[in-house]
Amino acid sequence: MHSSPASAKPMTHRMTPLMLKRPLIYCVLGALMLAGSHARCEWGFDATGGFAYDDNLSNGFEAEDRKADTAAVIDLSAGLYEPFGASTALGLSLLAHGDAYVRYTGLDNLGLGARAQLRTKFGLGTRAPWLSIAAQGVYHNYQYDYLDGWQYEAGATLGMQLNERWSLRGIIRYDAYVANKTQPPLIPGMVGSPYDVYGWNFGAQTTFLATAVDRLSLSYTWRTGTVTSVTQPDEEILEYSDRAAPDPVFGAGGIAYRINANTQTVSLAWSHTLGQRSAINLLYAYRRSQAESDLGQYYSNLISVTFTYSY
Amino acid sequence: MMAALGRHLAVLACLISATGAEAAKLSAMVFGPDAKPLPNAVVVAVPEDGRLPPMGKIVEVVDQIDKEFVPYVKPVRAGSYVQFPNKDNIRHHVYSFSLAKIFELPLYKGTPAQPVLFDKPGIVKLGCNIHDWMIGYLYVAETPYFGKTAVDGRVDLDELPAGWYHVRVWHPRMEGSEDTTITRVDLEEATPAIIEWTLKLNPEYRPQRTPLPGEPGYR
Repeated sequence: MHSSPASAKPMTHRMTPLMLKRPLIYCVLGALMLAGSHARCEWGFDATGGFAYDDNLSNGFEAEDRKADTAAVIDLSAGLYEPFGASTALGLSLLAHGDAYVRYTGLDNLGLGARAQLRTKFGLGTRAPWLSIAAQGVYHNYQYDYLDGWQYEAGATLGMQLNERWSLRGIIRYDAYVANKTQPPLIPGMVGSPYDVYGWNFGAQTTFLATAVDRLSLSYTWRTGTVTSVTQPDEEILEYSDRAAPDPVFGAGGIAYRINANTQTVSLAWSHTLGQRSAINLLYAYRRSQAESDLGQYYSNLISVTFTYSY
Repeated sequence: MMAALGRHLAVLACLISATGAEAAKLSAMVFGPDAKPLPNAVVVAVPEDGRLPPMGKIVEVVDQIDKEFVPYVKPVRAGSYVQFPNKDNIRHHVYSFSLAKIFELPLYKGTPAQPVLFDKPGIVKLGCNIHDWMIGYLYVAETPYFGKTAVDGRVDLDELPAGWYHVRVWHPRMEGSEDTTITRVDLEEATPAIIEWTLKLNPEYRPQRTPLPGEPGYR
């Protein structure tokens, strides 16, 4: 699935200013300023940048629909962390995200949003289980106006350090993408907003400290919900979809359509710590989506190399 | 080869500097498995006759600076008090589960009003419940004759009463028990003793400070 819209062609070739019109960011900004005046608050900053390759950006079922590309990616997070008592803390962060693709520049986007997280530990020490409840909203501004919209995520993570080298966590999360605009329908009666997708995610992750500075992480996620795929004009496709619209980002005449699908993702990550505040990360993920209809399945391979700085 | 040469030069430097001391003196050099000098190793000398000087109230200090315990290893004599001043402008939550001292200093800034008494010999591993990567060690010694190696792997114990001692070394990452390092030495006023250990070390596994990608903020 695409956590953000699958495709787009640059209908506007100039970035428009990010539209911070939703109250979420204002609320978090206000909370950050209020809490920042509180001397006990702990401020933090994380920056991750690098390159990511996806061999099926279009979520194509057929070989001719599969579109691969590499993007320069950056994620920034700045915020505060305020402990309440011995076991619970609130984290508020502002988030920024950017993608710049080599080939399919219609997918270039900037995102700005906010995240709130409440984390509680059930006991004292590194091995005490913990529960984190988090919600975030990021507004993505694409070159292609019809892709602009809000990415929402909310969920809970239960984690535990099993011993000094192994940790385990379970994740449940709801995600949704809500596009700003609706395109003219391809055929009468069909809704022209194929980029509005949502889904439930259930996952598990284990992390192993291979050396004092090398972490290996293996995770599995099962998602059920809607995804957006892109194909060349195909009337048969429209029988399986309730939403479709023109999407020329991968080529003239493309159609984006939304379907129900179950997606499984397995990923393996390696993170090598450099000093106290930075790390270099390598990630491989295999993703397979099975359509609920007779469309079959598509798969993706993702590889990313990133550098993280944390302050 | 260069490492071995450096090691011999370091021991020679110990011998030269120890020569001419009037009180009984013990110089120790501790090396890691790669023959590099090993800092943060605690060397302890226990008089065989069991005679120890009386102690008054001793207050030692372990700081918290930039979300780390400073120093990383602190040897103290059993019966000492330790203050844990928080010199960050955020709060820490210091604790230990070690059998030698189980204690907790819930979220605080500045210096806690009361220092903590460490009256039982042993190793006390320190942690912070907010910042899981923060780890420090208190070595609570049953004797006042102890020291910690510097970056050159060397420590000098001065002003020791002459006599027989059991001398041992401990390091947070050492393989095996410190009991296996016990060396019996006769310290005489005019003859400084030199002891050298080479320790095998385990990797130090601790939670990493840098979050994994996709995990903003604290884990």
